[in-house]
Amino acid sequence: MTLEADCPLKMYEEHHDLADYQSGVPRWCSGCGDNAILTAMQRLCRDHNLRPEKTAFISGIGCSSRLPHYMRAYGFHSIHGRALPVAEGVKMARPDLDVFVVTGDGDCCSIGSAHWIHALRYNMNLTVVLHDNHVYGLTKKQASPTSPRGLKSNTTPRGAYLEALNPLTVTLGVQNVSFVAQAVDWIPETLYDILDAAFRHRGLSFVRVIQRCSEFLPKLFDPWLRDPQKVQLLTHEGALKPSAGLAAVYKNQLDHDPADMNRAREIASLEDPIPVGILYRNPDVPCYEDLRLSDKVRNAETIRAGLEAEFDRFTVWPGGKRTQRGRAQGGNADDANGSDG
Amino acid sequence: MQTMRMEATVDVQAVDPPVFYATGKQPAGAAPARLWPAALAPYRDLANLRFDFPLILTSGKAGAPVISLSDAVNAVLQEIAPPGRDGETLRRTVLRIERAVRKRAAGGAKGTLSEMWAAAAANLEEAARSEAQKAWAALGLDGTVLDCHQGTAAILMAHLWSAAQNEKARQFLATAAKLSAALSGILRADYLRSAEGRSPQSLQAAMGGALQSLFDFSEMSALLPKATARDALPESRRRRLAWALAVLEQQRFFAVPGKAHAPANEPYGFRFDNCGEALAAYRARLPELTELVKAMAVAELEIDGAYNEGRHDAYFSGFDAGSLRAEDRARFPDYLLVLGDESEPFDNTGVLAVLSSGIPLKIVLNVGDLATGDDPAALGVRSTDIATLAAALGNVFVLQSAGSNLYALHERLSRGLAFAGPALFSVYAPPATAHLPAYLAAAAAMQSRAFPAFTYDPGAGSDLASRFSLENNPQPEADWTTSVLEYADGDLQRVRQEVAFTFVDFLACDPRQLHHFAVAPAGYDRLAPAAEAIGVPSRSAVPFVAVSDADNRLARLIADERAVDAARRCLEKWHRLQELGGVHNSHAERLLERERKAWEERAPQASAAEAAPPSAPVAVAEAPVTEAPAEVERAPGDAFIETPRCSSCNECTQINSRMFAYNGDKQAYIADVKAGSFAQLVEAAENCQIGIIHPGKPVNLAESGLEALIERAGPFQ
Repeated sequence: MTLEADCPLKMYEEHHDLADYQSGVPRWCSGCGDNAILTAMQRLCRDHNLRPEKTAFISGIGCSSRLPHYMRAYGFHSIHGRALPVAEGVKMARPDLDVFVVTGDGDCCSIGSAHWIHALRYNMNLTVVLHDNHVYGLTKKQASPTSPRGLKSNTTPRGAYLEALNPLTVTLGVQNVSFVAQAVDWIPETLYDILDAAFRHRGLSFVRVIQRCSEFLPKLFDPWLRDPQKVQLLTHEGALKPSAGLAAVYKNQLDHDPADMNRAREIASLEDPIPVGILYRNPDVPCYEDLRLSDKVRNAETIRAGLEAEFDRFTVWPGGKRTQRGRAQGGNADDANGSDG
Repeated sequence: MQTMRMEATVDVQAVDPPVFYATGKQPAGAAPARLWPAALAPYRDLANLRFDFPLILTSGKAGAPVISLSDAVNAVLQEIAPPGRDGETLRRTVLRIERAVRKRAAGGAKGTLSEMWAAAAANLEEAARSEAQKAWAALGLDGTVLDCHQGTAAILMAHLWSAAQNEKARQFLATAAKLSAALSGILRADYLRSAEGRSPQSLQAAMGGALQSLFDFSEMSALLPKATARDALPESRRRRLAWALAVLEQQRFFAVPGKAHAPANEPYGFRFDNCGEALAAYRARLPELTELVKAMAVAELEIDGAYNEGRHDAYFSGFDAGSLRAEDRARFPDYLLVLGDESEPFDNTGVLAVLSSGIPLKIVLNVGDLATGDDPAALGVRSTDIATLAAALGNVFVLQSAGSNLYALHERLSRGLAFAGPALFSVYAPPATAHLPAYLAAAAAMQSRAFPAFTYDPGAGSDLASRFSLENNPQPEADWTTSVLEYADGDLQRVRQEVAFTFVDFLACDPRQLHHFAVAPAGYDRLAPAAEAIGVPSRSAVPFVAVSDADNRLARLIADERAVDAARRCLEKWHRLQELGGVHNSHAERLLERERKAWEERAPQASAAEAAPPSAPVAVAEAPVTEAPAEVERAPGDAFIETPRCSSCNECTQINSRMFAYNGDKQAYIADVKAGSFAQLVEAAENCQIGIIHPGKPVNLAESGLEALIERAGPFQ
């Protein structure tokens, strides 16, 4: 007997409302785009009937990284730039959990950029949402890697000197990338649809959400907010399909097959109009946790034996002696360790 | 077919054909000597021909559990021997080895392929040995060599059954180990949080021996935060976890590698020699199996955190054998019974009773003899009827085949073993005789329809067409199989003749049935081939079958009426099987005939209608118009929000949470326009960055500063 869909015990499955995923009052500023992402996340959990005790939100540091506090699920508000490796560890140890990663443009694209690159290459089954408001908001307006050139901030009073980093082109340049999409916080329908597609994708799905910072960059996206033509919806059969109402407002649409990597890279380079939709999707890229799947059972005894063997390798024995046990287990530890180096 | 050169007469004392046909009596000394059916003559030197046998019962974990020697050799030659002359030497060497292995197996040698290959290679010249070595390295498999003989079915089925059970054991033990580890983990964590787990003694025991004196474990125990009652496992849950863990660890259905078992707790065996013992063992173990399934279900729920006492206690308190589903039973070993060898003859009633019980028994009937006594009327009745009767039970997988055809059907055999329910494999595997190898004797039974092949697979679909198959029978559309016989006549001229291989020919293969035959006198011309005589219920012609003797001389044997009657019954049974298999199905043919007549009657009318002028158009019912979703009724000048575009940013709700509210998707709408002022509406519209709030006209015309507010609201209307 298993708890598969056909199991009679499934009839006891609980259903959840939006309120079941809400926790506390967000401390974000009024008008902050984080609110839209939070709402879309909560709707996603409700619509997929995710069990709160089987769902984990992992974040780094920044305004966006407060999101796990507002989700009634497991959360890990970790350290700056380290949301991805923490999430990978969670997923490796508990592949049965649905793991979401919440990160910001400073958290992901600056201090956490090395983890970002390698998380893409590992392609573990995570849903990663980059809240990109183009500025460090929590620390009161410093330039981030995605701040536009010329942005005056506390760290760039004469204006930012460098061209902004484009998270989409960077992501699409990494080996093993399997899902890349872009959304904007002011079109909730597509934001939800993209998050939904990202969640359904098996592999690391990277969603950049361009969001407004109502406090420090209140006018930055006004031209795009006011003119729907400056947003280009990427539509395709089996990918994004806007409703009739949305299509009537956002008439600038482009049919794009997410399987086409070269075209995805061209679209990713666009700055105006902003492309919104699924740029790239390849369900055939293997997930790291599947490649490393082992039938070996980890219990207290096997973990203890592995640790003992590892410690014995570095133990200095009185008189320079090493026991037979130490040598034997040290040798085994090389195999058991399985480190990638 | 190979050309045979035969003479057209055999010197045996003649009989009067019509008298012999009617009475079956022949003068003393007129019985024919041992003769071969002429159709089998080309296959006398079987060991020099390439065919399905011997088989290799592979011992590796990967790949199919059985492969024929010829298939294995073909695969390796395709891989290492280039086409054309370059690979010719290698091909010849490998085929010589194959022939040598086949001869050894046919001679009764036992052993593995590696042993036989090495022995064959040792007899090759020096230059060829390295090629043999190269081919062996490329072969990449080894296993027991199995030739076609009376015990083949039992050995092959036991091997396939073991492979299937090993796979079940691997899956079950992996699942059980994960469940046990997870249950132990929960219990261990609970223990560590308990007062006992935090006691100084427990903490000291957890520390390495040499370091125990360095710490004050009493102090350490006092420092540890006390676990609250909420953190501790409820006693009922702890007991449930411990029970499930104990049931999992004490199970006896699968042997755990490396685990020592007390004599009273040895893993169960699942191979039996008679129905009664298998049935009794299954029934005795059923409560234990039910308990194990229940424990696994409880463990999965507990590990998933989904066990709810209010809901699940009642379910599991009533959990019994009736709660088991087919999938649950299928996770456990199947019982294997091999019946029908000389030591344990089977009875049809007992086999059918045990099959109809629905328990997962895999029964192999090894049919070694189709005859019951020397009466041809009884030929095949007992052995073939049990398979058709078992198929009629509905939920039993049934496969009937001659032993010669087992390799062609090996995927079906595996499917039967994997079927979640009882299965019957009825195999005709006669012993070899001095004149006829076991393979040919079995093949003759299938060629003559005496023991046709069929499969009834309840797992293949819901209807008979999906479940019943006559696959692998030669020429399944025909009454009898036919082949071309070539021989030289008395003038040494080549003659080609199509001959049928009937049940009468099959009888002629059996030395015990030769008293039903007599040699036809030379020059007697009122003879008819047996296939024709069987179809004509009269004595107008005497039936004969073509045979040859050890010197390849051709003769005609006339058969008596009893042999022909037996052939007619055999054909009737074959017709029934054909109908089940969709060949010449009488219902389908009648329906087809009826439809054909109806079509012929309609055809002239249709032609006339086509010639007539077109009739008036028929009114077509209009498709119902889908109602457009009702829009919220809004009078001109009403305030509103484009709710689907709301990004939930809280700007408006923070201005007035009674006027602006969120819907079920947390998107804003105007809940009560009178709950606030027009000034708040205008302020919300100005603050909304997406610009989806439209203030409309003021409701309270007495509100102060209205003129300026209306002007500010202008851009948002």
